[in-house]
Amino acid sequence: MPVKDSGDYIIVVENISKTFPDGVKALVDFSTRIHRGEVVVVIGPSGSGKSTFLRCLNGLEEIDSGAITIDGIALNDHKKSRLEIRKEVGMVFQQFNLFPHMTVLENISLAQRRVRKKSKEQARDMSMDLLKKVGIAEKADNYPGQLSGGQQQRVAIARALAMMPKVMLFDEATSALDPEMIGEVLDVMKALASEGMTMICVTHEMGFAREVSDRVIFMEDGKIIEAGTAEHFFSAPAEDRTRLFLSQIL
Amino acid sequence: MHNRKTRITGLDVVVTVLLLALAAFIVYRLVVKLNYKWNWAIIPQYLMFFDEAEGRWKANVLLQGLFTTIRLSVWATLMATVFGLVAGVLRTTPRLFNRLVGRAYVELIRNVPPLVLIFIFYFFVSSQILPLLGVESFIRSRGPGTQKFLGLLFSTPDLFTAFISGVVTVAVFQGAYIAEIVRSGIQSIEKGQWEASYALGLSWWQQMRDIVMPQAFKRVLPPLANEFINTIKYSAIVSIISIQELTFQGMQVMAATHVTIEVWLTITAIYLIMCLTLSFGVQWLEAKMARKDF
Ligand SMILES: Nc1ncnc2c1ncn2[C@@H]1O[C@H](COP(=O)(O)OP(=O)(O)OP(=O)(O)O)[C@@H](O)[C@H]1O
Ligand SMILES: [Mg+2]
Repeated sequence: MPVKDSGDYIIVVENISKTFPDGVKALVDFSTRIHRGEVVVVIGPSGSGKSTFLRCLNGLEEIDSGAITIDGIALNDHKKSRLEIRKEVGMVFQQFNLFPHMTVLENISLAQRRVRKKSKEQARDMSMDLLKKVGIAEKADNYPGQLSGGQQQRVAIARALAMMPKVMLFDEATSALDPEMIGEVLDVMKALASEGMTMICVTHEMGFAREVSDRVIFMEDGKIIEAGTAEHFFSAPAEDRTRLFLSQIL
Repeated sequence: MHNRKTRITGLDVVVTVLLLALAAFIVYRLVVKLNYKWNWAIIPQYLMFFDEAEGRWKANVLLQGLFTTIRLSVWATLMATVFGLVAGVLRTTPRLFNRLVGRAYVELIRNVPPLVLIFIFYFFVSSQILPLLGVESFIRSRGPGTQKFLGLLFSTPDLFTAFISGVVTVAVFQGAYIAEIVRSGIQSIEKGQWEASYALGLSWWQQMRDIVMPQAFKRVLPPLANEFINTIKYSAIVSIISIQELTFQGMQVMAATHVTIEVWLTITAIYLIMCLTLSFGVQWLEAKMARKDF
């Protein structure tokens, strides 16, 4: 594990709020700071704003107020800053969202070619390395539709990594998977965590939280109710709401 | 999905018999009762004739009309595709102004009768825009080689402006319909595709080119092909502005010979062959694309 200097925050979120046009308050005066190399697990009931929080971090949703800084770059309205931040933040979705008209290799190479401006050969080499890392090098020339859910999600992780991001966001990466495939995706995520990647994972896999997370954040109604280590949540959660929620998912 | 019924039912038989009876009746009226002197022998010479002086076969007015129709349709289709792409994409951009421009174009064209549009465009394009660009004098100042080449691709110098007006008119008209197809294709792509490519750091243009358009194209190919066929059919309407395409030439021949039905039937057959060929070509392409794995 890399040394976590207390001053070295890669993500600084200060008092952000997000209200959707229909009046739903998804995030309310939300603040948090995340160290370089930290693995944060976000839990909370449906509609508590977990996805919205992740989506604000890479600009998929606009914040109404507050400030987000990632690796020293302020996320503001300038197109340039948004692009810079998108390059540093990889995202993995619940529904994989692979590009169905491209082979696995093309899916992974895309960001290398277009964003990092690598040559075809360089992109190919890197993509193959990443595919080996997630354990499905033999599927390089298949189309996503020919892969199992677990394999597709591993490709999606490789695709996000190909951009060489400094932060990875996982939004319920295992929720759409059959139970027997959850393990293979969690293994990839654990390996990534042990390599020192900064990760924010929305997941209810408490085993994963216990094994690799540095901090668990429990959210409700767009606010942080309680934060602490996974052990803290297992042994002595302070809030009634946290206890109630944990009793439902464990 | 593919368990189409191949059994012939009683109803099928009844319908077929009725249709055959109707066809027989029409033929009977035409051949026996109409008191019409059929004169099919006159048609071939208007398709082709033997040029004694040059000692070779040459296309006559009907075939020349067909060639003009083809040239007109090809250029109009290409141009309409460009208009349609631009307007269709404009209608899906985040900027309100762009969407309004695209929308205005589509609504204007779709809510005015094509015939009226043609007169307006013809007047406007041929009397205002083309002279401004100096197209005709440009053509006339070229050498005979260039003129012949342009004649092959477009039209002879004397009819050049009319031809271009015709192309632009059909293209502007068809472009509006293609725009709607392009728009629906783009909007049919799942939000997740946009979000994933956004998160990968792709620009809007890269998202369009690499992710959205390739998938949308496959989905809209059938309606798009339909519009290409419509372009051929609508090209007939520009006969009204004296462009010497197939329908116009047919009417000329009729005026000269008075063999009305034979000429119309010949023209019908030619259009039918053209459009069916295209239609089969597209079906082949669709089948080929469906075999790809996504
Ligand atoms: N695009 C949107 N338009 C309007 N309301 C939205 C939109 N996206 C989310 N919301 C609302 O914002 C709130 C927070 O949603 P969010 O998706 O962040 O919750 P979540 O914690 O991820 O829930 P889940 O566990 O179900 O994924 C919810 O009430 C949701 O209905
Ligand atoms: Mg969610």
